[in-house]
Parts: sequence; C-alpha cells; structure tokens
Amino acid sequence: MKYQSQAVAKLYFIAAIGLFLGQILFGLIMGLQYVVGDFLFPAIPFNVARMVHTNLLIVWLLFGFMGASYFLIPEESETELFSPKLAIITFWVFLAAGAITVLGYLLVPYASLAKWTGNDLLNTMGREFLEQPLPTKVGIVLVALSWLFNITMTMLKGRKTAISLVLTLGMLGLAVFFLFSFYNPVNLVKDKFYWWWVVHLWVEGVWELILGAMLAFVLIKVTGVDREVVEKWLYVIITMTLVTGIIGTGHHYYWIGTPAYWQWWGSVFSALEPIPFFMMTVFAFNMVNKRRREHPNKAAVLWALGTSVMAFLGAGVWGFLHTLAPVNYYAHGTQLTAAHGHLAFYGAYALVVLTMISYAMPIIRGRAANPERAQIMEMWSFWLMTVSIFFITLFLTGAGIVQIWLQRISATPMSFMAVQDQIAIFYWAREAAGLVFLIGLLLYITSFFVKGESRAFE
Amino acid sequence: MSATFTKSMARNVFYGGGVFFFLLFLALTFDTMKVLPTRDNSQNITPAVAHGKKIWETNNCIGCHTLLGEGAYFAPELGNVYKRRGPDFIKAWIKGQPTGMPGRRQMPQFNLSDADIDDVIAFLKYASEINTNKWPPNIEG
Amino acid sequence: MCLNNVNLNNENSNSANFNLAELPTAQAMSGQQDLPGDFAIWIFIFAEMLVFGVLFVAYAFTRAHNVALFNASQLTLSLTSGTINTLVLITSSYLVVRGVAAIKQDLSKQCAYWLTGALLLGGVFICIKVLEFHAKFAADITMSTNAFYMFYLSLTFFHFMHVLMGMVILACIIIKAWRGGYSTQSHTGIETGASFWHMVDFLWIILFPLVYVIR
Repeated sequence: MKYQSQAVAKLYFIAAIGLFLGQILFGLIMGLQYVVGDFLFPAIPFNVARMVHTNLLIVWLLFGFMGASYFLIPEESETELFSPKLAIITFWVFLAAGAITVLGYLLVPYASLAKWTGNDLLNTMGREFLEQPLPTKVGIVLVALSWLFNITMTMLKGRKTAISLVLTLGMLGLAVFFLFSFYNPVNLVKDKFYWWWVVHLWVEGVWELILGAMLAFVLIKVTGVDREVVEKWLYVIITMTLVTGIIGTGHHYYWIGTPAYWQWWGSVFSALEPIPFFMMTVFAFNMVNKRRREHPNKAAVLWALGTSVMAFLGAGVWGFLHTLAPVNYYAHGTQLTAAHGHLAFYGAYALVVLTMISYAMPIIRGRAANPERAQIMEMWSFWLMTVSIFFITLFLTGAGIVQIWLQRISATPMSFMAVQDQIAIFYWAREAAGLVFLIGLLLYITSFFVKGESRAFE
Repeated sequence: MSATFTKSMARNVFYGGGVFFFLLFLALTFDTMKVLPTRDNSQNITPAVAHGKKIWETNNCIGCHTLLGEGAYFAPELGNVYKRRGPDFIKAWIKGQPTGMPGRRQMPQFNLSDADIDDVIAFLKYASEINTNKWPPNIEG
Repeated sequence: MCLNNVNLNNENSNSANFNLAELPTAQAMSGQQDLPGDFAIWIFIFAEMLVFGVLFVAYAFTRAHNVALFNASQLTLSLTSGTINTLVLITSSYLVVRGVAAIKQDLSKQCAYWLTGALLLGGVFICIKVLEFHAKFAADITMSTNAFYMFYLSLTFFHFMHVLMGMVILACIIIKAWRGGYSTQSHTGIETGASFWHMVDFLWIILFPLVYVIR
C-alpha cells in the first residue's frame, strides 16, 4: 500500500461483502416464494423481501464504489486522501442509515414507515428501487456529496489522471441524477419518465464511467501496460457508452404513455448499446495478452476478465435480446426482464466491485497477493458464482419465453397466475442455481481467512 | 504523421459526444413534455386519483405487481386491471386478502378503508386510460 | 458547456501517439493509407455513420409500408430550401478542403480564412433550416403527426445538431489556426475537424435525396 489513507477502503469492502451476503439470502427467500407462495408469510411478504434484496444490492455496490475510489484515487493522485477521518465518519453514517432503513422495512409496515419518516411532506416512497424513506434519501445525497468532496479534494492536490477524472465524473453524475428521486408527480407518465433518469442514467450511463475507470485501473496494475494506451481505450469506450446509452433511455419509453417516436429512437440507439460492452471485452483481453509482467494476484486478473465478459453477456447480449420495440412489446415486464437484470447487475457491477476488492484487499493487508491456496479458493468462488448466475439467467429466460408465449402470443391467452403455475419448474431450477451461488459466495468469504505463504512486495 | 490517436483527442470526443447526446436527449424530453397532455390522461387526475396513487405507493404495491410493465414480476400487471376485472372485483379482492390457501402466493391485508380502496380504484382507472401505444398485447397483461 | 475550450493541440504530445497497428480494430481498417486526422474522431465518425445508417434503413423500411402517406407528406417539404442547403454544404466542404491544403503549405491565415468561409456557410445552412423548421411548427407539424414527419423531423434535427457541433469544432480550429497553432508538419487538429465536417456534409447528401426527393 503506497498511501496509509488507502486503508479506509477496507471498512467499505467488508461492509460491501456483508451486505452482498444479505442480498443473496433475501434473494433465496424470494426465489422460494415464487414456488412456495406462503413461505415466511406474513412475517416477510414478497414485496418486503424484494425491497430488501434490491436495496441491499444498490447499497453494497455503492459501498464497493466508495471503498474502491478511496483506494484508487490516492494511488492515482499520488497523495494521501484529503480526509481519511471524513471517509470513516461517512462510512459509519451510511452503514447506520442503511441498517436502520432495512430494519424499518422488515419490522414496520411500509405505510407506517412512510407516515413516520415524513413521506407526507414530500412523497417519494413506494417506487421501484426508490423505496427508501425521505431521511434515507437525504442521507444518500449527503453521503454521496461527502464522498465526492473527499475524492475531488484529493485529486485537486495531486496528479490528475484520466482514470480519476472519469471516476469522479461518474460519481458526480451519480449524485446529480439521484436528485430526480425527489421528483414524484401525480402524473404517472411523468413520474415514470423521470424515474428512469435515476435508474437508467445510473446503470446505463454514469455507473458505466465508474465501471470503466475501475477496470482500467486494475488492468494497468496487473498487466503493466502503458497508461496512455489504457486511458485512450477508456475514453473511447465511455464515449460509446454515452453516445448509445443516453438516447438509449428511450427503450423504457415505449409503453408508459410517452410518444410513439421513442420506439424508433430507443430501438436504434439501444441496439448499439452492446458496442461499448463488446469493446470493453476486447480491451480487457487485449491488455492481458499484451501484459508486461506476471502479477502474482492471478485471482484479480480472472475477476477483471470475468467482468468484461459477463458485462457484455448480461448488459449487452441479454439487453439486446428484448430491447427492440417490436420484441419488447411482448417481452416487457416478464421474467425475461428479470433474467437481464440479474446477469447485467452481476456481470457489470457486482463483478467490477469484486475485482477491485480482489486487487486491493491483499495490498491493504500488507502483501502483493494472497497465498496460493486462498487464490485458488477465490477463483473457485468466481466460477461457482458466475456459472450459477448464468444458469439463473438461462432459467429465467426460459420462464420468460414460455410466459410470453402462454400469456401474450397464444390465441387463447392464459391469466398471469395460471401461467406462473406452468413455469414453476423453471423457478425451482432457478432456486437450485441460487443455492450454488450462495455456496460460491460463502467460499469467497472463506478465502479471506485462508492462511499460508504469501508473496511479499517486489 | 496522420497515424495518430491521442489521448487529448479521445478526451475531447468523449466530452463533445457526451454533451451532444445529452443535449439531444433534452430536446427530445422537451418535445415529449409538450406532447404528453394529449396522451397521459392527465385531464382525469382528480384528488381521488392523487390520493389513490399515494396509497398505491405507501403500501409498496410495486414490490409484487407491475404497473405498465414496470415493477416486480411476482403478481399480475395492474395497469389494465380496471378493464380486466372492474371496480367491484378489485374492491372485493383487496378486502379478501390474504387467501390463506396453502402453498399459494399471498397478498397482505393492508387494512384500507372503503374510501381508500375507492381512491386506489380511481387511480387504477386513470392508469388504464393512458395511451400506451396499445400495450399490453391482450387483456391478461 | 466546455466545448469552447476543446483542445485540439495533440500534435505536441508526440509521445502520446502510437501506431494504429497496435489496435486490432484499426488493423482491420487501416490498410495502406492512414486515415486523416486523429483516429479517435474516426471511431466517433463510424459510430455516427452506423446510427444514421440504421435510421436510413428504418426510414426506407417504414416508407415501403406507407408509400402513399410518405409521398403525400413529402410534397409539403420545400425542395428549394433543401437544394440550396445541399449546395451550401457542398461548397463549405470545398472551402474546408482548401483550408487543409493551405495549412499544408504553412499558410495559417489563409487556412483560417477558408475555414471561416466554411463556418459562415454552416451558419447559412442553420438559418435556412431554422426557417424550414419554423414553417413546419407553425403548421402544427410535430414528430407525433405521422410516420413521415417523425422521420423527417428526427433525421433533419439530428443532422442539424451535427452541423452545430461541426461549427463549434470549426470555430475552435479557426482560432488556433489564426494564432499560428498549426503548421505543415503538425495539423492533425485541422484534419480531424475537417473529417467531421465532411461527414456532416456526406450525411446530408444522403439525407436530402432520401427524405426530400425520392418518391
């Protein structure tokens, strides 16, 4: 570790992994509720489990992004973090706010939670992914600002690289677009229109800047390839991201009351959205093939390559599968959407955070790489989680296709619940794959505790 | 000489391209906001609809159902439920939950007053009359 | 908006240049002759051509299904203003070519004059286009009127924004050329801007017959 203050990242990484485990446990509960409808009812109804599942995902990814940037920015800027103390305070505030919010979801009826947290003052709750009570939303803004401030100040006093610039820009966008979560008009169409400014412009816009910057950083470190080359690629990839992704928002504006021309704009631009992801795959493999040194952390290289491939499959291929308006007409709001969501979030964002953790954690713990045995275990966990999420995606895709057929295309369409009974077998298979995922995750966590001979710094 | 590929140009293209497409997006947004009143059924937003939307939100209905195809995929689409089932069925259904049938998916009892349920129904009626370019493909949602 | 300080002086950072052959994507396209200007703009240009290409195909496809509607609506477009604009853009492209030729002989001021001429013609294009749009909006025609107008307004407005973007780029290189920032040996910035401007011109040359003329 070059700079002492990089160590604050450790706290964030531990929290991220802990919340990740929570997310998976709730995912398994929901998966079972799909087939055993009354499982844990009424203690944890499906809507509560889902809220916890998706909110934990967002929060652990944010913890991961923050931890990663507290590690990355000092190293890129070649200076200590502006204020490690602020980073630690922010951590505890965010963790406490997150924990209280989740406990609120689990212990209090949602309507009461809304009443007690001032939802009557400003209606923002009860929309998918933006279920957080008002104080939590304000907290997220404050945490993001504190993070942005700390990182920007660090960058200003040190070296300004393309990677840190892109990362900071991504974070700025993250903070700015989250502000649209406070806008909730009664007009349902406008509500949905601007809701996507948070959700889509996050995951298919500014988050991709963060993803690209983090991947570029790790690739420079583990391959030793010239920074100039990597940073040029980074700019080109994120250019394509914005060129396709911003207007690509239109693929959410086909059927929610917005004008029909979005079907053209959305289809054309989102059909091109796989391009930046494909470039990312080419980029990652190219850099690794051209590596100038063998980094002892083999696991980190695997995570990095895995990110580029799975992001392309999840966001690129599975996104394209149902993005064209004539296809989406039938696929909209089915299990196909769920399939895409799972693979894309895992492939792009879960994996890039795990890549950063894999690279940074050994260094924070005072070694260049983990012991051989720990790395092998980590790589096993990569394959278990990646293969099982891929199977989850395949099963949900199967479920989605049958659902579309029976409920929407067939001459004698069946009702939603009747169709759900027909596709139960896919849900059982999905739950089984989910259990394998959990095993992979537990193995991953175990790998941190494996002792052995570890490589010191060269 | 001309075989150049420089970082500063890549950066310029990134900023230029990003700003360009965001401006284009704003222009389309502007047009959309102008066209919306002819499509979004906003002339039928009454205080009951507004209150119904709030009840919809504060009971986290979107955590199981979809509305115009967005939400969770655990329970039926409700954007067109007013047309599929009609107001009386919806009212009886909400009141009758949970069914308690073993092994079946359960909807919680939200203890809404009759007036609240009527407002939720008003909201669902309003939602069902939005011009969605003929989505969903059929009444089953 | 930070486009005003767009920095086109890449020539000085020779260490940052590297051969195209290092990139697999470049290998496929570079062949013997190198592309003029910076490779970064070419990636962008190819992406843009792809977008326009898909839009043009979509237009043709939709037209084939609504020939009568398209023909009727096309009659409301002003062929005169379209033709003038075509000539304006072609002339401006010629001026840009003269500008590039001038800088190759180290004539910075002449280069700036030629490019300024192109910039002014860009302004003429914009004015004519604004009048055209104004006439359509005054007639209550929007993207939601029918399929033809959706394509007509989308394509021409998207192209319109490209002209504006091209003018911003031209303005940047004119200022730098005027200050003597380019020379015979080092004028990638000008070639880069010129490449973009030619693309904008080229797209219009396809767009104009496709949307205005062919019935």
